[in-house]
Amino acid sequence: MSLFEPVGVTHYLIVGAVMFVIGAICMATKRNALGILMGIELVLNGANINFVAFGSQYLRTETLGLDGQLVALFVIVLAAAEAAVALAIALNFYNNHATIDVDRADELKG
Amino acid sequence: MVPSEWLPRLLGIAVLLPLVAFVVNVLVGPALKKYAAYLSTLMICLAFVCSMTSLVLAWLPYHDPAPAGHGDSEPHAAATSMIIPVADQPQQAHQEIAAYTGYWYRLGQFGSLHLDIGYYIDSLAVCMFCMVTLIASCIHFYSIGYMHDEESEYTDHEVTLSDGSYLTRPGRFPRFFQYLSLFCFSMLGLVISGNIAMTFVFWELVGICSYFLIGFYVERPSASTAANKAFIVNRVGDFGMIIGLMVIWSTLGTFNFGDITKDEPGIFSLVRPAEHQHELIVPAKMVQEAASEKVAEIVQHSESLETALSEIDACTDDWRKEGYGYWLMIVAGLGIFCGCVGKSAQFPLQTWLPDAMEGPTPVSALVHSATMVAAGVFLVGRFFPVFVPEVLLVIAVVGCITLFMAATIAITATDIKRVLAYSTISQLGYMMLALGVGGWMAGMLHLFTHAFFKSLLFMCSGSVIHGVHTNEMTEMGGLRKKMPVTAYTMLIGCLAISGAGIPFLIGFSGYYSKDAILEQVFSFWRYQPENAGWGALFFLVAAGSAGITAFYMFRLWFMTFAGAPRDQERYDHAHESPKVMYIPLIILSIFAVGVAWNFFDVSLTNLLEQARPLGTAASVQGEIVQQWWPDEHLAHQEKIVFPVTLIAFGTAVTGFLLAMLFYGLRVLNAQEVQQQFHMVYRFLLNKWWFDELYDFLWVRPTLLISRLVTGIDRRWIDGLIDGLADCTKRFSQWGDRWVDQGVVDGFANLIARWTFNTGLSLRRVQTGQLRQYVMFIALGTVAIFILISLFWSRTLAG
Amino acid sequence: MENPLLLFSLIIFAPALGALVLAFVPKDKPDIIRLFTLFVTILVLVLTILMAIPGQLPVSFDLSVDTMQGASQVSWIPTFNIDYFLGADGISFPLVILTTLVTMLAMGASWSITKHVKGYCILFLLLETGMLGVFLALDFFLFYVFWEVMLLPMYFLIGIWGGPRKEYAAIKFFLYTLFGSVLMLVAILMLYFSSDLTAQGMEAEQLVAAKIVPLQEGSTPELALEAWIDAGKGLAVEYAEKMNDPAQPIHTFNILALQQMGQHTDLFGGQLWGCSIQCWAFVLLFIGFAIKIPVVPMHTWLPDAHVEAPTPISMILAGVLLKMGGYGIIRICYPICPEAGFELRYWVCAIGVISMVYGAFAALAQKDFKRLVAYSSVSHMGYVVLGLGVWSASAGNLYNSDYWNMGIQGAMFQMIAHGISSAGMFFLVGVLYDRVHHRNLDEFGGIYGKMPLYTGLSIVIFFAALGLPGLCGFIGEIFVVLSVWKFSTTLAVISAAVVILTAAYILWVIQRVYLGAEYKGPHEEALTPMNLREVSIAIPLVVLAILFGVFPGILLQYMDPTIDRQVQELVAWQKREKPGELGSTQSDRSPNDTAVSVGVSSPEQHPDLDMTDQQLSLFKRSSPDHQFISESP
Repeated sequence: MSLFEPVGVTHYLIVGAVMFVIGAICMATKRNALGILMGIELVLNGANINFVAFGSQYLRTETLGLDGQLVALFVIVLAAAEAAVALAIALNFYNNHATIDVDRADELKG
Repeated sequence: MVPSEWLPRLLGIAVLLPLVAFVVNVLVGPALKKYAAYLSTLMICLAFVCSMTSLVLAWLPYHDPAPAGHGDSEPHAAATSMIIPVADQPQQAHQEIAAYTGYWYRLGQFGSLHLDIGYYIDSLAVCMFCMVTLIASCIHFYSIGYMHDEESEYTDHEVTLSDGSYLTRPGRFPRFFQYLSLFCFSMLGLVISGNIAMTFVFWELVGICSYFLIGFYVERPSASTAANKAFIVNRVGDFGMIIGLMVIWSTLGTFNFGDITKDEPGIFSLVRPAEHQHELIVPAKMVQEAASEKVAEIVQHSESLETALSEIDACTDDWRKEGYGYWLMIVAGLGIFCGCVGKSAQFPLQTWLPDAMEGPTPVSALVHSATMVAAGVFLVGRFFPVFVPEVLLVIAVVGCITLFMAATIAITATDIKRVLAYSTISQLGYMMLALGVGGWMAGMLHLFTHAFFKSLLFMCSGSVIHGVHTNEMTEMGGLRKKMPVTAYTMLIGCLAISGAGIPFLIGFSGYYSKDAILEQVFSFWRYQPENAGWGALFFLVAAGSAGITAFYMFRLWFMTFAGAPRDQERYDHAHESPKVMYIPLIILSIFAVGVAWNFFDVSLTNLLEQARPLGTAASVQGEIVQQWWPDEHLAHQEKIVFPVTLIAFGTAVTGFLLAMLFYGLRVLNAQEVQQQFHMVYRFLLNKWWFDELYDFLWVRPTLLISRLVTGIDRRWIDGLIDGLADCTKRFSQWGDRWVDQGVVDGFANLIARWTFNTGLSLRRVQTGQLRQYVMFIALGTVAIFILISLFWSRTLAG
Repeated sequence: MENPLLLFSLIIFAPALGALVLAFVPKDKPDIIRLFTLFVTILVLVLTILMAIPGQLPVSFDLSVDTMQGASQVSWIPTFNIDYFLGADGISFPLVILTTLVTMLAMGASWSITKHVKGYCILFLLLETGMLGVFLALDFFLFYVFWEVMLLPMYFLIGIWGGPRKEYAAIKFFLYTLFGSVLMLVAILMLYFSSDLTAQGMEAEQLVAAKIVPLQEGSTPELALEAWIDAGKGLAVEYAEKMNDPAQPIHTFNILALQQMGQHTDLFGGQLWGCSIQCWAFVLLFIGFAIKIPVVPMHTWLPDAHVEAPTPISMILAGVLLKMGGYGIIRICYPICPEAGFELRYWVCAIGVISMVYGAFAALAQKDFKRLVAYSSVSHMGYVVLGLGVWSASAGNLYNSDYWNMGIQGAMFQMIAHGISSAGMFFLVGVLYDRVHHRNLDEFGGIYGKMPLYTGLSIVIFFAALGLPGLCGFIGEIFVVLSVWKFSTTLAVISAAVVILTAAYILWVIQRVYLGAEYKGPHEEALTPMNLREVSIAIPLVVLAILFGVFPGILLQYMDPTIDRQVQELVAWQKREKPGELGSTQSDRSPNDTAVSVGVSSPEQHPDLDMTDQQLSLFKRSSPDHQFISESP
C-alpha cells in the first residue's frame, strides 16, 4: 500500500497495532509500576482505535452500527477503573516497600 | 410246708433281713451306737433261723436224703474196671433234679430276651444258706467283742500324723456292722441267684463289701491300697466272667440256670438235654451261632422261611459233628472260671488275698476264708454241668498250681493271719482241683468243711491278736496257758484242716473232705486209658501239699501256743478273750469236728448228692485233650479208698511230726534250714515274686499308656487344634498386611503422591516477575495464534 | 394329651419367659433373682414330672404308645414348609425329664455364683429353653435353631463365669460345636432339597406315620389321606396339586417324614462324588453329633470346658449337653439314613470302643479332679455310641434284632445314668472346690474324716460311675456290653476289658481324695460339712442312682416300646433292601428265636411288618420296583 491512496481502515489499524506493540513492550520492559500502567493504557487505547475504526461509517461501507464505539466506551471506563485500582495497589506497595519497582514485588512466587 | 412256695419265701426273707439291717444302719447308724451291732446280729440270726427252717421243715420232709446210687455204680466199676459207657448210668436216666427256680422281678426286656432277678434253690443252696448264716451269726457275736474299742474314740497306732502323734478318730462300730450286713445280704443273694447275670450282680456286691471291709481302717495307706488291689484284681477276673456271660447270652439267649417254664429252657437243660440222657452236648443255638456263614448261605438260597428253617435244623447235627460251637463252650466255661479264679484267689490272681488281711480279723474269718472267697468254688460247682472236659482240665491245673504254691509260701510266713490266708488259698486250690478232676461232691464237701474250720482258725487267730496286740508269731509263744479256750479250739481247727482222723473209722470234718478229694484225684490218675497224663502229677502234688498243710498249721500252733514265750512283755499282757468271743469259737469247733458226720442218713454228703447236676455222675472223655474223667462213684471203691487214706494219713502225720520237731520240741533249728536253702527261702518269703512281676507286667505299662494318651491329647490333638487356630490368625494378619495395606492403600497413596509432585514441579513457573508474566502472555498469545492458524488451515482449508 | 402343642411350648418357653421377667428385676437383689430362677426351673420340672406320672392326667405320657406322642405343628415359614413341630416319644421324653431335673439341681448349685448374678440367671434360663427345644423339636430346621440357641448361652456362661483359662475354653467349645453344627446344616439342606413328600413310596401310611396326615380312630391311612386332601388346609392344597407329577417335589424339614423317606423311598440314594446322598448326610450328621458326645478324637474341648466352667455349668454340660449327640444319632442319623448306618455300623462301634478305652486311660493319668471326671465322661459316652451302633441283625441270624434292641436300650439307659452320675460327680467336685479352691488330686486325702456325709454320698455316686451293680451305671454298661458279642467278638472283648480300667481310676481317685490319714492341701480349716442346700442337691442324685440301679424297669418302660418299634422298622428296611447280607460276624437262631424275630412285629403295631410281608421281602433281591411291594396294601 502506499501513502497516496485515501485514508482507510488499514491506516487506523496500523496506528492501533503500533500503539499496542509499544504498550506491550513498555509493560514488558518498565520496572516502574507507573510505566507499566502507562503501557497498559497504550495497549487498551490501541485496541480502542481498532474498534472505533471498524465501527466508523465513514471509513467502511458495510457498517456495524454503533457497536464499535460502544465497545470503545466500555474499554475506556474499564481502563479508568483499572487505572484506579492499579494506582491504589501501587500506592500501598510503595507504603510497604518504599519503592514501586515491580521486580521487588515477588512475595507470591511459588 | 410245700417247698415250691415256702423255700423262695423263707430264703428270700433270709436274704432281705441283713439288707434291712444295712439300710437302717446307713440311715440312723451313728445314732444307734452299739445297738446298730445288735440290730445286725439280730437280723443275721433271724436269717439263720429262716435258713434252718427251710432246711428242716421245707426241704428234708420232701426230699429224703437217702444215699443215692452208690450201691449200683460199684458193680459196674467192678465189671468194667476202666470205662463205663455214659448211656447205662441207671440212676441218671431221665432223672429230675430237685430244684426250684423262678423270678421275682424283671430287669430288662429286649424283644424275646429278658434279664431277671430270680432264684434257683436246690439242696446246695439251702446248705450254703445254713452254713453262711451260721458262720456269719457267730462272727457277728465275735465282732461285738473284737471291735468294742471302736465304740468310743479310737486311737490307731499304725497311723502317725505329720506331727508325729497317733491318729485319734471317732469309733466306727456301727459302720463295721453295716458293712457286715451288706456283705451278708450280697453273699446270700449270690447263693440264691437264679441266673448267672444275677450271680454276677451279687458277685460284684460281695466284691465291693470286701473292698469296704479290707479298707475299714481308711486312714492306713496299706489298707486302702490292699482294698483297691483286691477289687481291681477281682475285676480282672470279672472281665473274663463278662466274656463268658456274653457268649452264653448271645448264643443261648438266656441266663437262667433252670427251666422257669417248659418252653423256656435254662442253661443246664440246654447243655444237657434230657433226650441225650443229660450228656453234655453243644446246644443247637451255639452250633448255629458258630456256623452263621452257613446259615446265611442257606437263608439266601432257600425260597421261603420254612424251608430255610427246616434245612438249618437238618444241618445242625452235622455242623455239631464238624465241631462248630465247641470252642464257644470252651470260651464260655473258661470265662466263667476266670471270675472264679479272681474271687477264689487262684493262680494267677491269688495276690490280693494275703494283702486283704489288712481288714479286721472277723472280716478275714467271714469274707476272706469262709464265704466270699469260697463263692468262686461255689460258682464252679453251680456251673459244673456246663464245663466241657477241656475247661475241667484247666480248672484242675490251676487248682493244682495254686494249692502247691500257696502251701509253700505259708511255710515261711510269720504273720499269723497271712499263714491262714495262704492256707485258705491252698485249700481253695484243693477244691478247684477236685472239681477239675470231676469230683463235684468232693469239692463241694470240702467247701463246707473248710468254711467251718477256716473261720474257726481265723477267729482263734483274731482272739490271739486281740490278746497280744500283734500279728507276728515271732513275738508269741506259750500262750496256751494264758488263753486256753483259744488254744484248744485252734488245735481242733488245725487237726480238722490237716484231715486228722482214725483211718477208715472216724475223723474230723477235714478228714472226710480231703480224703474224698485225694481219692478223686487218685482215681483220675488210675483210670486214665493209657496210664499217663496229668493224673500222676495232680495226685503227687495234692498228697504232698497235704503234708505241707499239716506242717504249716502245726508250725503256727506251736509257735503261738507252745514252748516258752518269745516276747515276755507281750506275754505278760496277754489275756483270754471275753465270752462273747470264745463262745462262737466253741460252737464253730463243734461243727469243724462233726459237720461231715452222718446221722441216720442225714449227712451233708447225702444232702449235696441231691443237688448233683444231672449227668455229672458219669464218666466223660475230652474231645481235644485225650483224658478220661471217671465217674465220681468209682472213687469209692476199696482199691482207691484204701491206699489213698493211708497216704493222706501218712503225709499228714509226717507234716505234724516235722512241725513238732522244728517248733514244738525245737530239736531242729528252722534258721539253719533257712540258711541251708537260702535261695528257696527268699523265693518263698517273697511270695514267688508275684507282686513284683505283676507290677512290672501290668501296673507300670498301664500307667505308661495312660500318660502317653494324655500326651497325645495335649500335644497332638490339642496341638493340631491350636495350630489350626494359629494358622488362621497368621493368615488373616498376612492378608491385612499385604492386601489391604499393600495393594489398596498403596494405589491411593500413589495417585496422591503423583499429584503432589506435579504441583511441586509447576510451582517453579510462578516466579513473581511481573514483566516475565507479560512476556509469557505475549508469547503465549502469539503461540496460540500460530497454533490456531495452523488449525484453521488443517481443517477448513484442507 | 389334649392340646399338646401348648404344653410343649410351655415347657420349652417357660424358662425364656422367666429370663424376660428377670430382665426387669433390678440387679442388686441377687437372692430374689436366684430364687426366681430356681422357681422357674422347678416349675418346668414339675410339668415334665406330671407328664411322666403314668395315669389318666390330660398331660400324662402314654407308656403303651410306641410312636410320637402329642406331635402337633403350626406352620412357621410356609414358603419352605418349615413348621413349628413338637412332639415327644420314648426316646426324647426321658431326656427331657433328665434335662429339667439336672437344670433344676444345677440352679440349686448356682448359689456359689456371685458375679453378675442377673446375667447368669438369664443366660441359664435361655440355655434350658434351648436344650428342651432340641429334645422336643421334630422339625429339622427348628431342631437346628434350638441347637444354636443352646450353644450361645453356654459360650458366655463358660467365658464369663469360668476359671482362669475361661476364654480359651469357651472359644474352643464354641468353635468345635459350631464346626459340627455347620456340617449338620449342610446335611440338613442336602436332605431337604432331595426330599419329596409326593415321591413314590411315600404312601398314605408313611404320611400318617410322619404325622402329616391326621389319623382318626378306626380309620385307614388311605381314607385319612383322602379326608385330609378334601379338607384342603395348609399343606394339603399343595399336596393335592403336586400329587401326580414328580416334576414338582414338595420338600420338607419334617424329621418324621424324612425318616419315612429314608426307609421307604430311594430319594436319598442319589449319587454325589461317588457316594450316596444319605451316606454323606449320615457322615456329616454323625460328625456333628460325635463332637457333642464327644468321641475320640473330637473330645479335647470337653476337658478344657469342664475344667474352666463353673460347677453348675459343668453339671449341665455333662448331664445334658453330651446327651444331645446320642439323641441326634438315634433320632436322626439311623432312621433317616438307614443304608449309610448299615454300611458304616462297624465304624460307629469301633469309634465307640476307642472312646471307651481312650477315655479310661486318659482318666487314669489326670492330676486335676475335674479333668479326670471329664475324661470318665468320654469313656462312658463311648458306651452310648457303641450301644447305638451294634446293628447285629443279619441274615446269619435271620434278622434277630433283639440284641441291637438291647444295645440301644442300654445306650439310652447309659445316657440317663451318666446324666445322673456325672452331674453328681461334678457337683461333688464343686463342693470340694468351693471350700479349698483347688482340684489337685495329689493335695487331697482324709476328706473321709472331715466330711463323712459328703464322703458317703460321693462314694455312692462314684461307684455308680464305676458301674457297680445296684447303681444306675451298671445297667447301661452291662446291657451295652452284653449286646456287643453278637455284633463283633473283638469289640466285645475290648469293651469288656474297660471295666478294669474304670475300676482302676475310680478307686484310685477315691483313695487319693477321700481316704488317708490327713488332708495334704491348703485351706484345711475350710473343710466344713456340707450345708443343707448342698445335701438337698446331692440326695436326689444319689436316690435316683440307687433307684434306677435296682429297678431299671422304671426307666426302661418309657423307652422300650419306641425303641422296639424303631429297631423293628430299621430291620424291616434291612430285610427289604439288604437281604442276605452277612452283616455282623456273629449270628444266632433257634425255633423260638425265629418265632420272635417274626412275631415281635405284632401286626396291630406294625402293619407293614407282618408275616407275609417278611416272606415276600426277605428272600427277594432288592430292586427299585420291588422295594415298595411291602407297603402297597
